[in-house]
Amino acid sequence: MEKSLHQTTRRQFFDTCGIGLGKIALGSLLAGGTSYAGIPGILPKSTLFGAKAKRVIYLFMAGAPSQLELFDNKPKLKELAGTPIPPSIIAGQRYAFIQPDAAVLAPQFPFSKHGESGIELSDQVPHLAKVADHIAVVKSVHTDQFNHAPAQLFLNTGGALPGRPAMGSWLSYGIGSESSDLPAFVVLKTGKSLGGGAALWDSGFLPGNHAGVPFRESGDPILHTSNPMGFDDEAQRASLDVIQELNKRRFRQVGDPSIKTRIEAYEMAWRMQSAAPELTDLKKESKETLELYGVKDGEPGFGRNCLLARRMIERGVRFVQVYHSGWDHHGDVEKGIKTQAGETDQGSAALIQDLKDRGLLEDTLVIWGGEFGRTPMIEASETLRRTKGRDHHPQAFSMWFAGGGIKPGITIGETDELGFNIVEDPVHIHDVQATVLHLLGINHETLTYRYQGRDFRLTDVHGRVVTKLLA
Amino acid sequence: MKQAVYMASVFAVFLNLAGSALIFGQDVDFGRDIRPILSDRCFKCHGFDENAREGDLALHNFAAATRDGAIIPGDAEGSELIYRILTDDKTEMMPPPKSNKARLTPEEVEMFKKWINQGAKYEQHWSFRSPRETEVGVDFTTEINPIDAFIKAKLEEKGLEFSTRAGPYDLLRRLHLDLIGLPPTMEETSDFLKAFEADSNLAVFDKIEDLMSRPAYGERWAREWLDLARYSDTNGYEKDRERPIWPYRDWVINALNEDKPYDQFSIEQLAGDMLPGSTLDQKIATGFHRNTMLNEEGGIDPLEFRYHAMVDRVATTGTVWMGLTTGCAQCHTHKFDPITHTDYFSMMALLNNADEPVIDVPSADLIQKRTEIKNQIGALEQKLISEIDPIRYFNWYRDSLEKTAAWIVPAVISMKSSSPHLTLQSDGSVFASGDFTKRDVYDLTLDISGIAEPVTALRIEPIPDKRLPGNGSGVAYYEGVPGDFFLSEVETNADGRDLKFKSGSVDYGKVKTGFGTAVASNVFDGDATSGWATGEQETKRHELVLNFGEPVKGEKLEVSLLFQRHFAAALGRFRISVTTDKGTVLARSGVSDMIRSQGETLMRQYVRSAPEFKEGQEALAELEKQIPEFPQTLVMKEWERATRPTYRHHRGEYLQPKEQVRPAIPAVFGQLPEGEPANRLTFAKWLVSESNPLVARVTVNRAWRSFFGRGIVNTAGDFGFQSELPSHPELLDFLAVKFMDDGWSLKSLHRLFVSSRTYQQYSAVSPALLEADPENIYLARGPRFRMSGEMIRDSMLLTSGLLSQKIGGPSVRPPQPETVTTVAYGSPKWEADSGAARYRRSLYTLHKRTAPFAAYLTFDGPTGESCLPRRNRSNTPLQALTLMNDPMFIEAAQSIVKDVEGNDVEIVAHLFQKILTRPPMNSEMELLVNFYREQKRRLEQRQKSTDDQSIKDPSLMAWTLVARAIYNLDEAVVKG
Repeated sequence: MEKSLHQTTRRQFFDTCGIGLGKIALGSLLAGGTSYAGIPGILPKSTLFGAKAKRVIYLFMAGAPSQLELFDNKPKLKELAGTPIPPSIIAGQRYAFIQPDAAVLAPQFPFSKHGESGIELSDQVPHLAKVADHIAVVKSVHTDQFNHAPAQLFLNTGGALPGRPAMGSWLSYGIGSESSDLPAFVVLKTGKSLGGGAALWDSGFLPGNHAGVPFRESGDPILHTSNPMGFDDEAQRASLDVIQELNKRRFRQVGDPSIKTRIEAYEMAWRMQSAAPELTDLKKESKETLELYGVKDGEPGFGRNCLLARRMIERGVRFVQVYHSGWDHHGDVEKGIKTQAGETDQGSAALIQDLKDRGLLEDTLVIWGGEFGRTPMIEASETLRRTKGRDHHPQAFSMWFAGGGIKPGITIGETDELGFNIVEDPVHIHDVQATVLHLLGINHETLTYRYQGRDFRLTDVHGRVVTKLLA
Repeated sequence: MKQAVYMASVFAVFLNLAGSALIFGQDVDFGRDIRPILSDRCFKCHGFDENAREGDLALHNFAAATRDGAIIPGDAEGSELIYRILTDDKTEMMPPPKSNKARLTPEEVEMFKKWINQGAKYEQHWSFRSPRETEVGVDFTTEINPIDAFIKAKLEEKGLEFSTRAGPYDLLRRLHLDLIGLPPTMEETSDFLKAFEADSNLAVFDKIEDLMSRPAYGERWAREWLDLARYSDTNGYEKDRERPIWPYRDWVINALNEDKPYDQFSIEQLAGDMLPGSTLDQKIATGFHRNTMLNEEGGIDPLEFRYHAMVDRVATTGTVWMGLTTGCAQCHTHKFDPITHTDYFSMMALLNNADEPVIDVPSADLIQKRTEIKNQIGALEQKLISEIDPIRYFNWYRDSLEKTAAWIVPAVISMKSSSPHLTLQSDGSVFASGDFTKRDVYDLTLDISGIAEPVTALRIEPIPDKRLPGNGSGVAYYEGVPGDFFLSEVETNADGRDLKFKSGSVDYGKVKTGFGTAVASNVFDGDATSGWATGEQETKRHELVLNFGEPVKGEKLEVSLLFQRHFAAALGRFRISVTTDKGTVLARSGVSDMIRSQGETLMRQYVRSAPEFKEGQEALAELEKQIPEFPQTLVMKEWERATRPTYRHHRGEYLQPKEQVRPAIPAVFGQLPEGEPANRLTFAKWLVSESNPLVARVTVNRAWRSFFGRGIVNTAGDFGFQSELPSHPELLDFLAVKFMDDGWSLKSLHRLFVSSRTYQQYSAVSPALLEADPENIYLARGPRFRMSGEMIRDSMLLTSGLLSQKIGGPSVRPPQPETVTTVAYGSPKWEADSGAARYRRSLYTLHKRTAPFAAYLTFDGPTGESCLPRRNRSNTPLQALTLMNDPMFIEAAQSIVKDVEGNDVEIVAHLFQKILTRPPMNSEMELLVNFYREQKRRLEQRQKSTDDQSIKDPSLMAWTLVARAIYNLDEAVVKG
C-alpha cells in the first residue's frame, strides 16, 4: 500500500513542479489545498458512490449506561424485584463483580412513548424524547467483551486488545478528509477518565496521520497550536517563510520528494494554528444555539463538545468522536443515571435538532451508545460499598442512531422479558461497524490494509450490515 | 478501490520478474513465479487450512494438487486448474468473482502452463530453506566489501550505477546518526575533516571504530530493540500503572555495547532463568517477555488476560526470530503459511510454563548502604538490650506467657486447591504459586490425631514472602495493593463432621481496596463478599484466631479457605495451627510465638515494645526508614515441578479450549533436538540455531532496514509465503551466512554495512534516478529518510548543549503539556522532572502506554502495545507544530544561542554548523542573516512601541528564532 502512495506523491509532484520548484511560488503549489489526511499523499476524496452519510459524530457513553433505565423497558423486572434470577438463564455466564445468582433489580424510572413513532424512552431523557422521530433505537446490541478497556477498544477498533486502527482512522484512510486545515479525525472528551486511553483513537498499523487528534479542554485545543511564549504571529510567519525557502533550496539540491511533503505539512500546520482557535471560539454562535445546547460561556462540558462537533463537521472533519465517561453505575444506578443523563441528554438532542435545522442531519451520521449494557440483576457489595447498582452486561444493550441513511423513528431488536438475552434481531459490534462503513459508501469487507502478511479490516472476519436500520 | 491499487502494484513487480523468465526462455521458478500467485489467489480456499477448504481441493503441495487432476504434471491442457483460470463461465472460473481476487493475466497463465508442462515441481519456500543452500552467482570478491559486488551486479542489470561517495560532512553525520543516534559536535567535525583530508579511507575506518566503541552505540540500538520488545514503563489497559522493568532496558544497552552474540543475546532474553546457574543479569534479561501488558481493571478474569499475554508472546517470538506472522494461526490454520492451528498452540506450550515474579536487583553500593544501616540497627539494639532492667523484663515475660496460647502446627496430610499449587514449607507453612483467579479455594487436611486434648481454636497466619508480589503474604498483583489477600470464608470439619465457630479475633485487619470491616466474624458469616485482609500491612505477619463452638476431638481436621474478590486475592503463604488452651483464645500481635523462643530474639522483641525504650524505638524506626530499597524488575521463572497444560483454542478464543497440545515447534521445521526437554530453553536455542532457516535472514534484514531505510525483504515482519520477494536474494543469504559465521556479531554486521561503498554514497537523487528507482530499492544512491522522534530530540539536546550523558537507571519525565496524560485513567498529570533528568536521552523517557510521550508518538513512536518490527515514517502537520512550538524544543533553541559570539555571519555559521554539521552555503547564509536582522529590527521596534515585557533582549530573541528555524529544516530531521 505504502508503495502506491509514494508513487502517487511522485506523480503529483512531477505534474506540478517538474519545471523546477524554485520558480513557483509556494502558494500556487498549495492552491487547491492539501487535505490533512492528504499528507503524505492520500488524495482528498469526496464521498463514495452510494454513500448516504459524509461524516460521523459518535457520542460514546463510556462506562456503559444502563439500557434498563433508558431504552429497554422491562416491567417484569419490577414484578420479580428481589428474587434471584432463574439459574437457567444465567448458567455459564461470566461477570465482573457479581455472582450470577444475584437478585433482580427493578427499573428505576418510568417509561413512556414519544413522537409519532411512539419510541419508548424513560423519563430521564426528556430532550431526546423531543427528537424521538429522528432517531432509530436498537435494543439488541451485543458484544464479546465484559470489561471496560477491552470493550471500548472492541467498539472503537474492532479488536479487544490495543493496536488496531480506530473507526475514525479507517475512515480517514479510506475516504480522506474534506478539510484543508483540520484533522480528518478528532476526539473530544468529558467526564471521568477513559479505560481504553489513547489506543481508542490510535491509527494502529495505519500511517500516523490517520490517528485521531484530541482537542483538549484546557491549554491548546490541539497540542502546540499556540505560538511559543513571546513569539508573535509575525515571527511565526517569517520563521515559516525562511524555513520553507531553505527547504526549497535543499530540495533543489537533493531532489527528495519528501521535502516537498514537509513543505506542505508546514503550511498546513500554519493554517491549523489559526483554524483550531477559530473552531473553539463560540462567540459567533447565536444565543439561541448556545441555549439549545445548554452551553454556558467558556465552560467545558458535554453540550459544548456537541456544539464543537457540529462546528467541526461544518469545517470538513470526517469523524468526530465525542467521549463522555461516568456511566459505570455499579452502585446506585438511579442516582448515576440521573446525573449522567442530566449532563448529556440536552447536548445529544440539541445536536440532532441543530443538524436537522441546518440541513446537515441528512448526510451526517450520529451514533449514541456505550461499550456494553448493565445486568438486570442487582450489584451490592460491602467491601466495595455498593448498593442498588448493576454490573456489566455484554449480552444485550441499547444504542441509537440518527441522520445520514438511518431510517428515523424506528426501534429494532427485542430482549427477553428480563432484558437478559436478545430474542430478536441481534446486532453484534462488528455489525454496527459494518453498517457505519456501509452508510459512508464503503464495503467493510474490502476496506483492508495489508499488515504483517494479512489483510486487516475494521470488522475482522465478521460483520453484516443491519439493513433494518437503513432508510 | 485500495485493494485494486494494491493488486496492481503487486502485479507490476511480478510481471517484471515473470517477463524475464518467459523472454529468456528460462525454466519457470516455482518460488519466484508460481507460489506468489498460488498464495495470493488460491490458498485462501485451497491452502493449508482444512476448515477453509473449498471443493475438497488443496494446491499447497504436489500430492494434494495432483490427486484429482487439478494439476496433471506434464499436461497443462488436461489440467483442471488451467481450464478454471481460463474459463469465462462465472460458476466455474477461478478465482471466483466473489473472492474479489484478480484473475490471472495471459502472461501468468502462460507461466502456469509452462510450469505444469515442466512437471509442476513444488519447492520449499525460499525463506524456509537454509541460507547456506543458496548458490551465490555473484563473484563478491571483485569488491573490497562484498555488499558492493551484489549491489553493483543488480545495478548493472537495471542499467544504473553507483552515485559518488558522500562528502565528509554528510558521511560523518550519517555515521554518527546511524551508529550512536547523535550528530557530531563541531570539534568532532573539524577533527574528522582534517583526518579525511589526510586519508579519507583511514578517517572513515577510524571513525567507525570510534563510534562503535562508545556507550551511546548501545543506547541508540537499544531503542530499536525495545520497539520489538514492546517495552513500556506501565502495565497498559485501563489503570496503566507503572511497573519496574528499566533494569531490562539497561540490560539491553549493555548487551549491545559488549556485542553479546545475537544467539546468546536471544537465549538469555527468552530463557535466561533456565540457564544452568543463571546469573542475576540472565534473569533480568527474561524481562523481554514480561513486557506484555497487564490488565489491572477490577472484575476481569485474570487468566483471560494471561492468555492474551501468551498470545502476544507467541506472536512476538514469531515476528522477532522467525519473521513469520504466526498470529493468523491463533484462530485457524494459517491460510498462506504452513503453520497449523495446532502448531501455534504447540509453540505457546513451549513458552507457557513460567511464573512471572518481580525480583530485586541489588547493586554493590546499595548492598553496602543497607549493610551499614543494618549494622547500626544491630548495634543500637545491642545497646538497648544491655540496658534491660531484669525485673521488668521477667514480669513482661511472665505476663505474656500467661496470655499466650500454646499453638501446635499439625502435620498436613493433603492439600488441594481450585488451581494454584500448594507446597509445604519447612516451618509448616503453605506456599501457593501458579495461576490465581477471582475465586480460589484451598482445602487442607490436617492430622490432629496425636493431639491429646480437644482442639479449642484454629489460627491462620499470613506470612510475608519475598517470592510474593510486593513481598507481601497475598498474591494480589493487579487492581489491589501488591501482596494483598482477602480471606472470604473459613469452613472446617473433623472426620466429616461440620464444625462451627463461636468467636474469632484478629491482631490487625483492614480492607484496603474498597471498604468495609475486616473483622474475624466476616470469615464465618456465610457471606463471601465480607472477609479479612491486612491492608497497608501486607508485608507483616498477622493472625486470625477462630474459636470452635465445641472442643474438637478427631483424626483429621479439614480446613477450607475461600478467597473471593473482584480480583485475584488468595493467600500466598500462610500457616495453620491449633491450640488446646481452654477458654476464649485471642489473636496476639506478634508476641505469641516469639514468647516461646529463647534468648536474644525475645530480648529484641522486648526492647522494641517496652515503654521505657520509647526513645530507642524511635531511633530504630528512623534508621529502618533509611534502609534503601533495591530496584526491582519483572522476570520469568520456569515452573520446576508442574506443567501448565496448554490447549488448542477454537477460533483462538480464550473461552473455547479444546484438546491439550504438546510443546513443539511448527512441524514444517521438523522437531526440537532429540533428547532435549521440550521447553522454553530448548526452543530459544533452536530459534537461534542453524536449524531455524529464518533467524539470520530476519536479523540481517532488520538491521539492513535500519541503515538503508528499506529491507532487502520489504515486508518487515513477514518472511512467509505472502512476503515480497527479496530485492537482492543472494545478498540477503550471503549476509545471513556471514552473520552466523562471524559469531552472530551485530557489531560486525553493522561495520560491514557502513564500510560499504553502497552505504557511503551521496544521497541526492536526480529526477531521472527518482523515476527509475523511486524507493531506492537498488541503491544507486545513499539512504535518506526521516529520523525517529527520539533521535530528533536527542540531536537537539546534544547540539544545544543540554544533553545529559548519564546512562541507565529509572525512567525520567521530560517536560510536555499536562493534558497529554490527563486523557488516561485517573487523569494523571505529567509532572516533569527538574534538572538533568529533563535532558536525558529519549530512550530513558518514561513510556506510558495509554498516553505515550506526545512528541515521540507524533513522529510514529511506539505505543508499546505489541511488537513493532517497523515504524511508519509519516510527515505531518502535527510534527511541524511540535518542532515549531513545543516548549521542549524552544528550550533547545534558547539554549544554543545563549553564549553566541561574533558578528552576524559568524553566529549564523556557528549555529548552522552546530545543528546541521556542514557550513551554510552563501545563499543560505544570506537568507538567515537577513532573517535575523529583520526580526531583530522588528522586535526592537515592538519593544519600544508596545512596551512588550516579553521582549527582554531583541537580539537574543532573534537569534532564538534563527536557531529554531534551523532546527526545523528538513536537513535537521533527516538522516541523509
